[in-house]
Amino acid sequence: MSSSRPATIAVASGKGGTGKTTVAAHLALASSRSAKTLLVDLDVEAPDALGYFPSAARVGPPKEVMIAVPQLLKDRCTGCGLCAKSCRFGAILSIGGVVTIDERICKGCGSCVAACPAAALAEAEIFVGVVSVFENGDLRLLEGRTAIGDIRATAVVEAAKRRARELDCEVLIRDCPPGVACPATHAIEGSDYVILVAEPTDFSLHDLGAAVVLVQGQSIPVGVVVNKDGFGKANVAGFCARHGLPIVGRIAFLRSRAESGADARLWEDDAEIMGEMEMILERALNEVRKRMEA
Amino acid sequence: MITICVASGKGGAGKTSIAAALAAMARPTCVFADCDVDAANGAIALGAATTAREPYFAGPGFMINSEICTGCGLCEASCRFAAIRSEGDPPRFMIVSELCERCGACYERCPIKAVVTYEKTAGELFVSTTRLGIAIVHAELVPGEDTSGKLVRKVRERAQAIAGEHATIIVDAPPGIGCPVIASISGCDLIIVVVEASASGIRDAERLAKLIVSMGRRTIAIINKAGLNPDMDARARDMLKAMGIPLAGEMPFHPSLRSAEESGETWMTVDSVARHSVASALRAIQGLIDSIGDGSRVAAIEEEKP
Repeated sequence: MSSSRPATIAVASGKGGTGKTTVAAHLALASSRSAKTLLVDLDVEAPDALGYFPSAARVGPPKEVMIAVPQLLKDRCTGCGLCAKSCRFGAILSIGGVVTIDERICKGCGSCVAACPAAALAEAEIFVGVVSVFENGDLRLLEGRTAIGDIRATAVVEAAKRRARELDCEVLIRDCPPGVACPATHAIEGSDYVILVAEPTDFSLHDLGAAVVLVQGQSIPVGVVVNKDGFGKANVAGFCARHGLPIVGRIAFLRSRAESGADARLWEDDAEIMGEMEMILERALNEVRKRMEA
Repeated sequence: MITICVASGKGGAGKTSIAAALAAMARPTCVFADCDVDAANGAIALGAATTAREPYFAGPGFMINSEICTGCGLCEASCRFAAIRSEGDPPRFMIVSELCERCGACYERCPIKAVVTYEKTAGELFVSTTRLGIAIVHAELVPGEDTSGKLVRKVRERAQAIAGEHATIIVDAPPGIGCPVIASISGCDLIIVVVEASASGIRDAERLAKLIVSMGRRTIAIINKAGLNPDMDARARDMLKAMGIPLAGEMPFHPSLRSAEESGETWMTVDSVARHSVASALRAIQGLIDSIGDGSRVAAIEEEKP
């Protein structure tokens, strides 16, 4: 595989807590045994992948993610209100010629600055999150993390994706956020293959259906991993058959796995799980190869 | 009217199951607002039958009309989200909808109006009745749409319109700590933080707790999936203590809770050893709800009487 363009596998789910991070961490571990691998945590509101690698060491300082927000230059403002009119996020109010800017909901698009005829808006950078790189033996990890209280998760996801492109690797595993709204959309965008992790519950199947729509809307091939197999009675296989989705792996529910999993301990000595991970990886990489050749 | 929000930071911590059990306890004067609009499971948990539905529009999307685009590239230069890409020579520009933040900068910049807007349904809002006899307001965001925070506000507004003056609204929040979570928490009288007794669950609940503290909301916690790993149970308690959040109780990791859901029950009526812990945690929360509700106001006035 070319070193300039890694095979990018995104792990997503729809429902939270089905085991995305568990699967992503183990896939990355399995992959790092034979290929240069980068695990990227894009669940920037609740990043947990690093928790599986407690001895990972930080590489370089964390990089701040900044966005440019408008600052009003009062002496230049004529109160025309064009800035407020240009803002589609409701971040600027212009009432009776008095302009107020709410930088907490500003996306930093620059529309208001372009719209102002009096050059009365300057821009200042504000902090929305951090991107950090770590190393754990042969595996490299990259984590995006939003500042608490900030709503601009997608800016941090995109900053993490950009930083990942600067790092050399053959296989890139993305741990995505739950849901099917903008953070998940951004996290999946640009990947070559998506693994959807499902558990045998009605909640999971409902949300899996939405995730499938999201991924297929981006024309990315998809495979399902059944986690906590045997924990509930919902029929994941039936659901996948009806939707034409391949099941590419299974992790059986065992109380012992739930116990050690609670502590984010890697099951690296569990031959059954590591064997399953290698099979999932092989299948995913085959699909990626086919797609790149097409 | 009292509004209680159940949130957790981490997904799969047990928010919906706990919110459903609270609803079962608080009925009949209760409305359930499922604010996890992109993975809505409240209707499944409560066995809902839809009585009303309406489309949700999020505002316009943008696309480039390639028939008239001259390839000047001003749109690409105006986009701060790298959502406009070009192909071929001469270049043809297009908007990558997955990356587009819908700010309209390209629309304003294009000198020949080749960037056009389009309206599309971004989701649907439902009002349903449930097995418990209470109403649930829920929504389904179209996968890939943004503005989930705005849809959350619509769900809450509708729940408020349905709820009577003395009703309790139970808000089931989405995972994470971002825009739709902030929209779920804003203005609530009490936030129940569900801490999954796991390393990830504790870490994410701590980030959520910091958010709630910054928003000045009253908070109480439940530790869920307790008993799997005693170290994690202890760490969860320590985190809550350090954050100054009182603990209502601990719910065990027990297969009977899963089975109860599969047979259409909430955790309120589960028939197993888990019952005692569940009931005691929920009673503690009900006590707190009563104390911040009409009951305490009446009691305070009663006390003033000579």
